[in-house]
Amino acid sequence: MSFDDLAARALDTAGTRGAEYADVRFEVVRSERIETRNGVVTTLSDGASRGYGMRALFGGAWGFAASSDLTPAGIDRTAARAVEIAKAGAAIARHRLASAPLRAYVDTFATPMERDPADVPLGERVALLLRAEKALHVSPKISVGRAWIDLWHTDKTFYSTLGSRIEQSIRQTGGGIEALAVGDGDVQTRTFPGDIGLYKSGGWEIIEEAKLDQNAQRIGEEAEALLDAEQCPSGTRDIILGGSQVSLQIHESCGHPAELDRVMGWEANFSGVSFLEIAQLGNLRYGSDIVTICIDNTLPQGMATVGYDDEGTKSGSSDIIRDGMLVGYEMSNDTARAIGRESNACVRAQSWEFVPMIRMCNLNLLPGNVPFDGLFDGVKDGIYMESNRSWSIDDHRLNFQFGCEIAWEIKNGKRGKLLKNPTYAGMTPQFWNSCDAIADEKSWSPGEPPTAAKANRCRPAAPRSALRRRAFATCKSG
Amino acid sequence: MDSVQREALAERVLSLSTADETEVTIGTEDADLTRFTHEEIHQNVARSDAGISVRAILGQRTGTASTNLLDDASLRATVDRAIAIATLAPADPEIAPLPSGGPTTTPKGAYVKATAGASPQLRAGMADAIFKVAESHGFWCAGFARTQSAGYTIVNSNGARASFDGTDSGINVKMNAADSTGYGQAYSPDARTLDAREVANTAAGKAKNSAQPRAVEPGEWTVIMEPAAFGEFFAYLGQHFSAQAYDEGSSFLSDGLDKSYFSENVTITDDYSHPLAPSMPFDFEGQPKQRLKLVDAGIAKSIVTDSYWAKKLGRENTGHALPAPNAYGPQAIDLVVSPGSKSIAELIAETKRGLLISRFWYIRTVDQKKAIVTGMTRDGTFLIENGKVAGGVRNMRFNQSIITALGKCEFSNAQQRTGDYWFSLVVPAARIDGFTFSSGTQF
Repeated sequence: MSFDDLAARALDTAGTRGAEYADVRFEVVRSERIETRNGVVTTLSDGASRGYGMRALFGGAWGFAASSDLTPAGIDRTAARAVEIAKAGAAIARHRLASAPLRAYVDTFATPMERDPADVPLGERVALLLRAEKALHVSPKISVGRAWIDLWHTDKTFYSTLGSRIEQSIRQTGGGIEALAVGDGDVQTRTFPGDIGLYKSGGWEIIEEAKLDQNAQRIGEEAEALLDAEQCPSGTRDIILGGSQVSLQIHESCGHPAELDRVMGWEANFSGVSFLEIAQLGNLRYGSDIVTICIDNTLPQGMATVGYDDEGTKSGSSDIIRDGMLVGYEMSNDTARAIGRESNACVRAQSWEFVPMIRMCNLNLLPGNVPFDGLFDGVKDGIYMESNRSWSIDDHRLNFQFGCEIAWEIKNGKRGKLLKNPTYAGMTPQFWNSCDAIADEKSWSPGEPPTAAKANRCRPAAPRSALRRRAFATCKSG
Repeated sequence: MDSVQREALAERVLSLSTADETEVTIGTEDADLTRFTHEEIHQNVARSDAGISVRAILGQRTGTASTNLLDDASLRATVDRAIAIATLAPADPEIAPLPSGGPTTTPKGAYVKATAGASPQLRAGMADAIFKVAESHGFWCAGFARTQSAGYTIVNSNGARASFDGTDSGINVKMNAADSTGYGQAYSPDARTLDAREVANTAAGKAKNSAQPRAVEPGEWTVIMEPAAFGEFFAYLGQHFSAQAYDEGSSFLSDGLDKSYFSENVTITDDYSHPLAPSMPFDFEGQPKQRLKLVDAGIAKSIVTDSYWAKKLGRENTGHALPAPNAYGPQAIDLVVSPGSKSIAELIAETKRGLLISRFWYIRTVDQKKAIVTGMTRDGTFLIENGKVAGGVRNMRFNQSIITALGKCEFSNAQQRTGDYWFSLVVPAARIDGFTFSSGTQF
């Protein structure tokens, strides 16, 4: 049977069982990974997964069931299970949280792609990684060199009892290199690009853009040099953060706290709550007036760029922080309705087997007007840090401590000596309210690592799921 | 799919391969989760899947392919794909032959039929009991009740044959009061043993007793970590026992085994058969797992290996492979910390001034080799004064080496299965002197 036929059967079964609304999402996922480690291909794998997840609404409660059984009997069982689960929730309901989406769409979407990875021979892919990984080994102190490529292809079709039929073909591609240097009781790591590689929606052009082999020698040299570098000093200083670290800062201190389900306490026992309370919407000064952070799920090459989210809401753009003020959230249908708004299509499911929920999408810090080199002007005594190594933030998203792989001192506007083990700590609103410069659009780029699990004067401390971040402009806090 | 069906399927797939060596792994999972907040179920989900993975070895070349499409054509295509990938892969001169397996015994209590067949009504009943406790205190609660079952079958062309079925269940509750929160948890292979009301009462008691938390100064403190907290902290040491980390130099054990790293109070084993967390008696290559003493009275005794790292380092294969391929090497995933002799109440009574910690949050590694980690306290942090719990304190951030902490620690006499991880942890409560907090937060 076709997905159309299976969907009709699933939605009909759910309705017969009492569902007031239902949707079903079929997915076919192909994932390929190649990884080399110290001259050996340690991973050369190709995975295929097919299944469907179904939501049923009954009495103000959702039920979700997912299965890889695509037989008619399997469809019937899964649909009935989704309704039974919804009824079990409704039976003890004190409130009615859930309601059906508002709109139906019949549409298609396909990720734009310059070069299909399938057209790149496997031998060419492996050779690129072996070449890049070999170049990391600039000295015997490089104990481990790694290089990797991930190719993900997801075909999904969404159907709802409102009449939606949305067919999407999504391609995501990424890769990176890493050098581990060991010596004199110390271990140092350098990763490129960023701290986890370059991941975007698109095809092989993403791997070409990453320029892994052209940068490998430098990364290996930096890892080795860090072994002998001075420890980053403790104290309160101006800091400048490189693009990948800014992406982590935004991810943890804006992206996660602006997830409205988290704000409403839906994640309270697990990933926590948020200081961006609903009562403060429109009133909270989150950052300085040069800070504007927005969602744009139509951004070319954005890792989260799709036509529709996994509730069937059309992608668009909206502001979270505008000129430093809290003005919006990442929302689903249910959470948006709770504050009198409409969803801004931030719902994603990890795969067919998981329930769709609010996930951080393409979250962008808009570029400023300072050339990258201009960020250093006027900084008498500061630290420049790049590439995240460690991240931790409290469960209200206030007290944070982030570490980077590498840093340089800044003296009188010039980049100085290399420093290792840089860490900075602070409180989120103070950090963003002290941001006094953001690099211009020349140093801005989209990029989303695959994992995410969400300035004042900052204090570099002596001693570094989930999981999605974006690379952006570089900002200066001081 | 039961073990007999999995084994028949695995044998059929194995027979399709023309590779020099072939490994077939079949995994099945049924996982149900009921999440709630504000006395309402907001995520109520179930998933069911079965997948197969094929590792094909041609000489020194390896390819892996996987699928959850179990029709004959898809299975054959998966085998062909694994072989095709192996054909194109570069040779690895250090490749090890697949292990030949051996007899294993599934530990008692690992599979409980009642858990595997648990209904959404059972989980809703647990949630309702928790809601009633929250309502009786005027709090709101958030948490989950989950039940799941999983099965694995691994066969290979060198004779390994292994099957395991297991179940698990858990309850996790956070109670939320006006200016304080409290945490409770329980995990077991047998969902019938979970007492939702008791877990809720524990969480509510912590929320109540930590009301109006006061700020205390960061610095060095004596801390008593309840098992949930100690488990989260200790978990970051697990990867150090991997032969891969040991060899590449990122483990503190790279400085050598048979050396004293910790207090003599510290004994750590990797034991799949512990009654609180009975688990799979073989690894993901079908090799029988050894019950290993990793640390004995503070002295490091062993690392864990799989077939590849055993051959590479000239050591015995201890049966700790993860599913192939992976970037992590072998891992100790059934960690047990031995108990001490005193109750947690006695440890508190002996403490003149310290902090009692219920739970941590967002622990991350700061320095890999030194095992320095940072993180926050959460959901019930209390001041101890003159041997007594003296009210709640605001949460704080720590920066602390696990190695250093285990050098000045004492454990309670009762262990708990803790954490909701992909690996298993059984730990006691721990009292640690000189634990370093670097800053506080606003709640």
